Amino acid sequence: MFNQIKRYLLAFVAVNLIAPMHTMAQELTNADEIIMQANLVSYYAGDDGSAQARMIIVDARGNKQMRQFTILRKDIEDLGDQNMLVFFSRPTDVKGTVFHVTKKVKSEDDRWLYLPALDLVKRISAGDKRTSFVGSHFYYEDVSGRNPREDNYTLLAEQSTGDFYVVKGEPKDPTTVEFAYMVAKIDKITSLPMEVTYFDKNDNKIRKMEVLKTKDVQGFTTVIHSKITQFSDNSYTEMQFRKVKYDAGLPDSIFAERSLRNPPKAWLK
Amino acid sequence: MFIKVYVVISFWLIGSITSFVQAQNQIIQENGTAQTLIFTSGFNEGTEDDNWGNNWDDEEERSWRVSGFVEGALGQFSQDNVVESEQSLSEIRARIDVNYSHQKFELVASADVLFDDVLNDNAWHTRELFVSFSPLSALDLKVGRQVMTWGTGDYLFLNDLFPKDWQSFFSGRDDEYLKAPADSVRATAYINNFSVDIALTPKFTADNYINGERFSFYSPINELNGNTEPEHFPVESRDNSQFSMRISTTKSGIEYTVYGYQGYWSNPVGIHLNGEHQGKAFFPKMNSYGASVRLPIAKGLLNVESAVYNSVEDSDGDKANIPNNQVKLLVGYEQELVKNLTGAVQYYVEHMQDYANYEKSTYFAEQIIDQNRQILTARLTHRAIHQKLVSSLFVFYSPSDHDGYIKPMLSYRQNDHWNYSLGANLFWGQEEYTFFGQHQENSNYWLRVKFNY
Repeated sequence: MFNQIKRYLLAFVAVNLIAPMHTMAQELTNADEIIMQANLVSYYAGDDGSAQARMIIVDARGNKQMRQFTILRKDIEDLGDQNMLVFFSRPTDVKGTVFHVTKKVKSEDDRWLYLPALDLVKRISAGDKRTSFVGSHFYYEDVSGRNPREDNYTLLAEQSTGDFYVVKGEPKDPTTVEFAYMVAKIDKITSLPMEVTYFDKNDNKIRKMEVLKTKDVQGFTTVIHSKITQFSDNSYTEMQFRKVKYDAGLPDSIFAERSLRNPPKAWLK
Repeated sequence: MFIKVYVVISFWLIGSITSFVQAQNQIIQENGTAQTLIFTSGFNEGTEDDNWGNNWDDEEERSWRVSGFVEGALGQFSQDNVVESEQSLSEIRARIDVNYSHQKFELVASADVLFDDVLNDNAWHTRELFVSFSPLSALDLKVGRQVMTWGTGDYLFLNDLFPKDWQSFFSGRDDEYLKAPADSVRATAYINNFSVDIALTPKFTADNYINGERFSFYSPINELNGNTEPEHFPVESRDNSQFSMRISTTKSGIEYTVYGYQGYWSNPVGIHLNGEHQGKAFFPKMNSYGASVRLPIAKGLLNVESAVYNSVEDSDGDKANIPNNQVKLLVGYEQELVKNLTGAVQYYVEHMQDYANYEKSTYFAEQIIDQNRQILTARLTHRAIHQKLVSSLFVFYSPSDHDGYIKPMLSYRQNDHWNYSLGANLFWGQEEYTFFGQHQENSNYWLRVKFNY
């Protein structure tokens, strides 16, 4: 069923890319469907993917930190569970650290961290997904995708007249998150969320994710530069991707302890 | 006097490393032009935004990588100790890590130059020097000096009998130094969903145990009522090999592992009663096997591990100079309590076999230990300011020995280069001969400043 949706979606995207003139008519009106497609194109492009990434973390006083890593990802099922490996190469004190996640839609994720200095494979309890990913402004959830089942979505029709759908998401359980609601601007052609703003209960902006640049990779529109700003002190993190590849044929077997101690070089190029 | 010298040396080292880093950055910047040219086709964002500074560092592409750190550390005993130095830690350490990555193999060399004012020892310590490669697609080999870790305990080791450095652990050095390296061959084979590890250490490598040099300890052999000094603690070394193995698999997020070990107790827990080594401590033979399971449960993680220690030279438990057989069990649970605060607890029990024989044969009836020695541990870890500030508290408490050990720590990572941390190692106990109780005089505070390059 997911594969069908995906085929439909890929066809949809392809048609849009090839013949954008003819496709504008197909407007979506269902918020859940828009979010599902946004989730699919943001986190499930291809059956697998690899990319090199870097982050620059800028605090309120302008001090900068860097993170550089390579990500390997393989879908177990579209819109479902995924395996992910993150290999850190910079800075010095995290070099060689590897993060292994099995993202699970229906239960808590499995997470492991490999610390090379101790040769230690540390298992991490699932924990809050809205905590910082390696000290950046990106949360775990921003990197691996927030489960759409956690929110109720409504399409703000009067604001969705231009190139974007504007969708409001409200958490089903407000105690689990730091925001009261979020507003996402989703590109009508690519289905990519180009801007997501998080508000507190007094309608103040607290946090914003914005896409600064996308690129077509093997037919998939891919975010290669994005930014998350925290409005309380205007600190932010920018993230860039390069060498993005899809459908590389990553074997299931690499998502295991072996890759933590002995990174699979062939797939990290 | 020494400290002054070290301070001068440390400034010189930090200075030269800073200029080395600057020079390297300059090279990267110069190379950057070439890199930019290469990337222009695929990626040129690096030049668009000043924020990124240098161009994207091609860490992944380089065969040679050099990194490391310089660290200064000071530690002070909180009360008088019989050891020579009043300081538990006073050192400058310069680390250099060199990696060579080839398509077919990986070469890792890592060493510390240590100026240690506590032991008056200026030394070169090779921490890692190994080559790793895969002679078959389902086999990894790692040959040379390496650090090995397995098992599920947090600061409690049952089936992990690889060498530990307790002197580092007690002095507040980085956790990395709790694990000491060994010259070994490690082979890991992958068969279906199982991985099989075999580690052979041709020459037995003991723990860097507490020997009275940096920290004092209780020893009934020399002074019946006090802590001892290293010159009064002769130890007979062992040259034979050690062998460890492990078979593990993960199914539906649950990790199952079995372990085996053939070698010696990793600390000199035996005492020669006669012969040419009479009075000397030694490492009695010991073989062990065990198993562990680790799985997510409720909102956290549960781990259960057990081990059976077979004290070969005292299999009936009737020799007072060698430890009896033991059965060990560990149960641990970890969970995020609130955002950015993680809590973990462990229960550990060490069951002595042939207890009646022990009671009968022991020399020190008034110092008899329980048949079931138990330890409870608790750990709290809090992360703040985008994980830059980490506070942690680790507590060991033994209800059977009536003693304990607290390790508080505060660590601030200012940026990608500078890291500051301070903490303490606090021991208490009702008796001076129990495991933690004997270290009461070793209680200390410490401070470390680290520069990563």
